[in-house]
Amino acid sequence: MNKTKEKQAFISLPGIGELALSGVRPLIGILLGLLAGAVFIALSGVNPLDAYLSMLTGAVGSPVSISNVLVRASPLLIGGVGVAIGIKASLWNIGSEGYIYTGALGAVAVGIAPLPVPPIIHIILAILAAMGVAALWGLVPAYLRAYRGVNEVVTTIMMNYVAMFFISWMVHEPQPLAEPGSFFPMSKIIAPTAKLPILIRGTSLHPGFIIGIAACIFFYLVLRFTPFGFRTRMLGANPEAARYAGVNVRRQILYVLLIGAVMGGMAGSFEIMGLKMRVFQEFVAGVGYECVAVALLAGGNPLGVIPSALFFSALKAGGATMSIQTGVGAPMSVVIIGLCVIFVIAVGYGERKRLEKLSESEQEGEENTEAKQYVR
Amino acid sequence: MSGDQIIDWLQASLRWGAPLIVVSFGEVFAERSGVINVGIEGIMLFGALAGVAISFFTGNVLIAVIGTLLLGSLLGLTFAFFTVTRKTNQVVTGLMLNLIALGGTNLLFAMISETRSERVATFPVLFPESFFDIPILGPVLFRQPLSVWIALVLPFIASWILYRTDWGLNVRAIGDNPQAGATAGLRVLKLKYKTVILSGIFAALGGAMLTLGEVGYFASGGMTAGRGFVVLAAVVVGGWDPLRTALACLAFGAADAAQLRMQTTGSAIPYQFLQMLPYILTIAALAGVVGRTRPPKTWGAPYDPEDI
Repeated sequence: MNKTKEKQAFISLPGIGELALSGVRPLIGILLGLLAGAVFIALSGVNPLDAYLSMLTGAVGSPVSISNVLVRASPLLIGGVGVAIGIKASLWNIGSEGYIYTGALGAVAVGIAPLPVPPIIHIILAILAAMGVAALWGLVPAYLRAYRGVNEVVTTIMMNYVAMFFISWMVHEPQPLAEPGSFFPMSKIIAPTAKLPILIRGTSLHPGFIIGIAACIFFYLVLRFTPFGFRTRMLGANPEAARYAGVNVRRQILYVLLIGAVMGGMAGSFEIMGLKMRVFQEFVAGVGYECVAVALLAGGNPLGVIPSALFFSALKAGGATMSIQTGVGAPMSVVIIGLCVIFVIAVGYGERKRLEKLSESEQEGEENTEAKQYVR
Repeated sequence: MSGDQIIDWLQASLRWGAPLIVVSFGEVFAERSGVINVGIEGIMLFGALAGVAISFFTGNVLIAVIGTLLLGSLLGLTFAFFTVTRKTNQVVTGLMLNLIALGGTNLLFAMISETRSERVATFPVLFPESFFDIPILGPVLFRQPLSVWIALVLPFIASWILYRTDWGLNVRAIGDNPQAGATAGLRVLKLKYKTVILSGIFAALGGAMLTLGEVGYFASGGMTAGRGFVVLAAVVVGGWDPLRTALACLAFGAADAAQLRMQTTGSAIPYQFLQMLPYILTIAALAGVVGRTRPPKTWGAPYDPEDI
């Protein structure tokens, strides 16, 4: 009894308890995920420790590998924080894949234009175009969820596939964006003025990760300290209460889903202007779903998106090295990502149940002592 | 379009539609009981690989099918454990299962790459060769492997189970109102486990049909190419009814066959529009633009006996 009381008191400590709780839960899940991954690695005849070690050196062993991790983290940070906001409002915005595609399309449309402007202006215009196109794309599921009550999970997934085939159509001749006479359908390459600067010579490190980390901090502050953030959290905690308190729930749902779309579009623009320079079908296959995984691992906390995006990109960058050094296939890193997320959310439910029981028994205990006092 | 081309297209439509119908058989039951199994795409992938691998090493299609069904039930059980018992978000769990399947099948396929070199034993053709010469029906129907015939019978069985048996009634009941079902003495969680395992079994079988139906080999890098999501679309467009879902599967199979032909011949309509069709129709159906479909009331929501 005393022990549960202590734990309860610890959890109810402002900030620290919450942080410890939200930190421990994913860690247990990640550990289980890595263990399960180790079993699969062992099954393929490789010592899991060796594999994980080579993964680690592949991720942080040299400046080049670190910059690789940061480049891979960039779309996960920017797109992931948009999904995270949705999770805080109990909205499952699975459409990142589609937002990244359509955003990339917007960035390319502006990027290939030979505008007589300085690079910084051209880059900003292309990013804005990406955000705009993705917002239009996201408007369909967002409107349907907010004003027609249509399950956003299914519509956003379906929109991803529509986006994939839409891109395929847009980069085929005779569409204006398509590169004429290319061996594989792809768009024209963007103008030099629209290319992002490279931060370290000899690597492909573009400023995307800085923008991503800034976005995570920005949305953390928005969620915590602004009326908009308060309404978002209220929507997630109890939509009925939010409605009763005078929140325009429909508009809030629309805005939250659109933020996910706009951030996804931005992620797509950085991927284009910093790395790929042109768009083609499935140019970032699966990154949108990894954004969802990142946001989940972070439990919807924008600050948590930073370590979680870095963890996943380290797994992916390290996976390539692991494959060369130990012969375990590179797809193993994706398998480990999937395992980690499944275990994190599965552990999350048990943890929540235990807490609920704890607080219930606590209340019952208090009632009992009260009753006892009456008897006396 | 010439007559031969039309017959070729009809034959291909049935061939592409059949695996979708088989997968939808299980998915309809899972969704009717309230669980959206988004993992069918991944389970199909595993089934496709397992079918080829077992057929390669044993040379026996029957053993391959039995092995695939066992694998499917195991994956269904796993999905049920997470979504029904641990109450994780069904869509997210399914997406992660798909991610694991995509990476996992690529890894496994690299380990058994010898299956790459030759075609394995595939499903037999049911009718004798003399039937093939019957005009239209010969090439379109009688030339098809056994798996297509199974797909043509399954929807009627599904419809009968869902609407004419007590078990079907129970499944529909717990999807619409699990609390009432539990009050009436139904074991809700156990029933959900059964429907989800069923969806796993038939997703694996549908995947095996992709590889063992005709081609006889596995291609790495996601050879299901989103067909699991086409099935999810068909279930919604079919209004969670087995027969209408099967029709939607056939239509989507026909669209798929048509777009493949349009890619090579070229046409006025971009072939990508046909590829988008299932997904756009699903959004339209959910939005109530085309037809009136009503999802099961607890569609996608976990059931917690302690909630009232």
